[in-house]
Amino acid sequence: MSDTWPLNVDAKSPNDPVFVGIGEIPSGKYPQRTFIGDLTKVAILALKDAGMVPRDVDTILLIPCLHGFTDQADLVFSRMVEELGLAGHAKASFMIHSGGSTSDNAVRAASGLIASGHARTVLVLQCERWGSADVMEMINSLSKNGIPGEWELPTGVQFNAIGGLITQRYMASTGSTPAEMASVCVALRDWAQLNPNAMYRGKKLTVEQVLASRMASDPLHVMECPMLADGAAAFVMTSAENAKKRGLDTTVRVAGSGGCVSHYSIGQENDLAALGWATAAKRAYAQSGWGPKDAQFGEIYDSYAAVTTIAVEGFGICEPGEGARWFAAGNASPGGKFPCNTNGGLLSAGHTGVGGGTALLVEGVRQLLGRAESERQIKNAQRCIIGGSGGSYMDAQVLLLERTGKGGAK
Amino acid sequence: MTPPIVADFRAGLIRGELLVQKCNSCGKFNMYPRYACPHCQSESLGWQKASGKGVLHSFTILRLGPPEGFENELPYALGVVKLDEGVQLLGRLVPDADGEWKSYKCDERVEFAPMSAEHAEKRPCAWFKHAKT
Ligand SMILES: [Zn+2]
Repeated sequence: MSDTWPLNVDAKSPNDPVFVGIGEIPSGKYPQRTFIGDLTKVAILALKDAGMVPRDVDTILLIPCLHGFTDQADLVFSRMVEELGLAGHAKASFMIHSGGSTSDNAVRAASGLIASGHARTVLVLQCERWGSADVMEMINSLSKNGIPGEWELPTGVQFNAIGGLITQRYMASTGSTPAEMASVCVALRDWAQLNPNAMYRGKKLTVEQVLASRMASDPLHVMECPMLADGAAAFVMTSAENAKKRGLDTTVRVAGSGGCVSHYSIGQENDLAALGWATAAKRAYAQSGWGPKDAQFGEIYDSYAAVTTIAVEGFGICEPGEGARWFAAGNASPGGKFPCNTNGGLLSAGHTGVGGGTALLVEGVRQLLGRAESERQIKNAQRCIIGGSGGSYMDAQVLLLERTGKGGAK
Repeated sequence: MTPPIVADFRAGLIRGELLVQKCNSCGKFNMYPRYACPHCQSESLGWQKASGKGVLHSFTILRLGPPEGFENELPYALGVVKLDEGVQLLGRLVPDADGEWKSYKCDERVEFAPMSAEHAEKRPCAWFKHAKT
């Protein structure tokens, strides 16, 4: 199998798929909010951001919720078509699912539909109610999803233990210290202070606080584990030609994508300090024709710090084995050389299940469109590296996004 | 009903044996056991008693938030072991005398530690301890 796939659609093609709008509401614990209400809200926010109304959409892609099957079934069976007044108008409404990397695969699906002419304008919707769900129920479901029942459930493994296994191996392979690992969480928390949608805005964090917190699953401290949150996000993609026709001068296109599904079971990952990140990035760079030196920032899945430090190494953003120290030196923090997870990431904006990756993707698009709040906005943001991963970090997905047009932040 | 592929593996643990699947057609080992050989797609698959020896790739000690039913076992250690047979699996680690796991390090040699039949019945997974040098 070849490791490179040429893109069939280039920037000059009228069917080049582009992002034109995003919507998001704050993450955290919001028991008064409702699942369908939140989905409706972010749908309208994203469409307004694109200068559109629901009837401009022909296809809806749903990112699943993990908090309950009934709500998920509502999505699968097209409830949002009815809620948005698109009955009889919508061509298709369906769900894409690969856990935490779903948003990346939703972009691929939407891009394929638009590039091939099967869709003109695609609305992608996500909502999670983890923050308001029953904690024990969530622990139990998270201890079964993405874990082989026959071979690993009897060990008592769960999600933080999976994070612990990756972190332990990463620290052993790289010689990274507990303080260096904790500094990743602190960098993300610093970003969260600038994001009005972040769960931990207004709650500063220090390395000392992280290291003083209890062990959850050695070497992971409690404060290095993500907090489950409610949240919702949406984005709109259309063809470059349609965007132009509608007067949308500044858009974000997909310059390339690459992925690597490296395992299903955590016990079957060949190298827990590598995962699939480097392979995924290599495939993505081959498609885009540009690499880490050409990008200004990254939005990379971060339910545990090591998942992200392994990624920045695999992406070639820093030297191999130096990811945690690179974070500790402030490179990814506000004001740093290569900002990462500028919304605060899953660790500080809130872990909204499958939506954690969606929030990072939406933040990347927001930055490229120049629509972040001024204190958070990256100057001259033209290219972004998006990284997503699902399940037991079974896959590594990379999207390379670039701004088109003259707009955006100066 | 427990499928035979699982029942056979668990029966091995109860006997104090760590079994790995072996393909009758190409002779390669498969872990976790599969319904068709990923190497040659043969459905003629058998078992071989593993040496039980291998290298600890990584480990963690869960102290909080266990899955339901594991509350009374906290803390416990999980480890990914790469067996000398060239396959790997997730198992549990036997604690040191003080009930902790301070002596364990990544890349060190470990070996399968059979549990009692009663224990293996309740928790059908492989346990490992430091390999005798
Ligand atoms: Zn075979």
